[in-house]
Amino acid sequence: MSSLYLRRRITNWVAMGLSMLATLVGLAFLAWILWETLRQGIAALNFSLFTKITANGADGGLANAMVGSLVINFIGIAVATPIGVLAGAWLAEYANRTKLGESIRFLNDILLSAPSIVIGLFVYTIVVLPTTALTHGSTTFSGFAGGIALALIALPVIVRTTDEMLRLVPSTLREAALSLGVPQWKLTVQILIRAARSGIITGVLLALARISGETAPLLFTAFGNNYMAINPIDKMSSLPQIIYQYANDPGDAMHSMAWAGAFVVTMFVLLLSLASRLVLSRNKVSHE
Amino acid sequence: MNDSAATMNQGPVATPQATTSAGAPKLTVRDLHFYYNGFHALKGINMDIPEKKVTAIIGPSGCGKSTLLRIFNRIYAIYPKLEAKGEIVLDGENILDPRYSMNRLRSKVGMVFQKPVPFPMTIFENVAYGIRHHEKLSKTDMTIRVEQALRSAALWDEVKDKLKQNALGLSGGQQQRLCIARAIALKPEVLLLDEPTSALDPIATGRIEQLVEELKNEFTIVIVTHNMQQAARCSDQTAFMYMGELIEFSGTEKIFTKPGKKQTEDYITGRFG
Repeated sequence: MSSLYLRRRITNWVAMGLSMLATLVGLAFLAWILWETLRQGIAALNFSLFTKITANGADGGLANAMVGSLVINFIGIAVATPIGVLAGAWLAEYANRTKLGESIRFLNDILLSAPSIVIGLFVYTIVVLPTTALTHGSTTFSGFAGGIALALIALPVIVRTTDEMLRLVPSTLREAALSLGVPQWKLTVQILIRAARSGIITGVLLALARISGETAPLLFTAFGNNYMAINPIDKMSSLPQIIYQYANDPGDAMHSMAWAGAFVVTMFVLLLSLASRLVLSRNKVSHE
Repeated sequence: MNDSAATMNQGPVATPQATTSAGAPKLTVRDLHFYYNGFHALKGINMDIPEKKVTAIIGPSGCGKSTLLRIFNRIYAIYPKLEAKGEIVLDGENILDPRYSMNRLRSKVGMVFQKPVPFPMTIFENVAYGIRHHEKLSKTDMTIRVEQALRSAALWDEVKDKLKQNALGLSGGQQQRLCIARAIALKPEVLLLDEPTSALDPIATGRIEQLVEELKNEFTIVIVTHNMQQAARCSDQTAFMYMGELIEFSGTEKIFTKPGKKQTEDYITGRFG
């Protein structure tokens, strides 16, 4: 065996070994987090978590936080999806390769990485303070404000995935529709968004997964509520906020309830990720 | 909303007025130049495309044959920085005139592309979609119209029981015939085919060629192909292009047996290209 060949094989082994090590380190932490959440979470699971509210403290449950999370997340997604899909469609179909489009794409990326606490403060200023002033203090923090804050976090994710998914649609599809005399807006709404549908739905599900775990933007917007609230005009509790609160509590009983909450949120996000993969794979009919 | 033929500027080159009689040109190209972001891609093309005949455009890659075809329905205009100069007269009107309505042009000039591109909807909807944009038809009329188009595209027997299925489930050859059905459903006068069989297997190719033969009774067909046998098999007239110029344009038989230019002969005998 020549020395050159031997050296190449050694370099190959070393490079392969290092990259496998890097992968293992990354995966190990993920597995560890999941394992610890499952272990502690399942141990703390019991039926009253889903029936009792946080006002009962250590003897209570998380029902109001779960309902609050569902309502706030729903508002966030319901607000962000139409705006995000339309903005993404505009970027990909009308402003692609224009200076304005590029600038907005860049701004969207900045919003994507904006610290979520800043978004919480922003919504506190533009939603919570004015509603307090307008209602003379009867409505201050609200589930609605929390939903707006989460919408601002979900929005850039949806804009970006819609934009990218639409740009992946082959240009031949655009040419085919335009050659029938179909105008651009019909092409975009009726054909391109439909062709990129599974990718866009995946983006929305990922955005939902992203906002399900957000705590900081809810602290000054939805605030929290130890009683069951269904109307988003009221202050609302949410799972991440309760996890944060209970984890800071000195009592062990509260800690295990925080773990149970963490388990529920993790499972929800895990299921959403699985659902998004399913949506993507089921619609894998290519244009080839 | 469109200008009538009488008010249209006919340009410096007088075209024969009797354009509607059989054998007369359907499309007349006059001194056509085309620029890709400044690059001079077509250099003064002049040709008369006869009505209800198949005109093939052949030539090596990059010679401008697809570029020329894509000017006939102004599909090039969806991309920035492309510019066509000159005239293309369709039934006495210059289609390059910005006042010529794009909607009208595209209902008169249909196009089928290299790769089959069905829309992400049912087989029925694929054909009905274009019609619905141009005409308001009752449900029964639409059903009849879609059936006619699918029959003309020789696809009806294969899909009549699955009209409600997704078109993406069809084979490549069937998808391409669906695209032809979609184009002819608008009852265009000219049908542009841009290498319509280059993504298909030989059997599907044979079917499309047979279809072209049938369709020329109704439509004026212009087909771009890199396959010389295909041009020889299914066209009446053949144009040979090279480096953005129209080198020779005459009867297909003449081009392939007694070409008038040295470059044409070199190309069809495989000396370059």
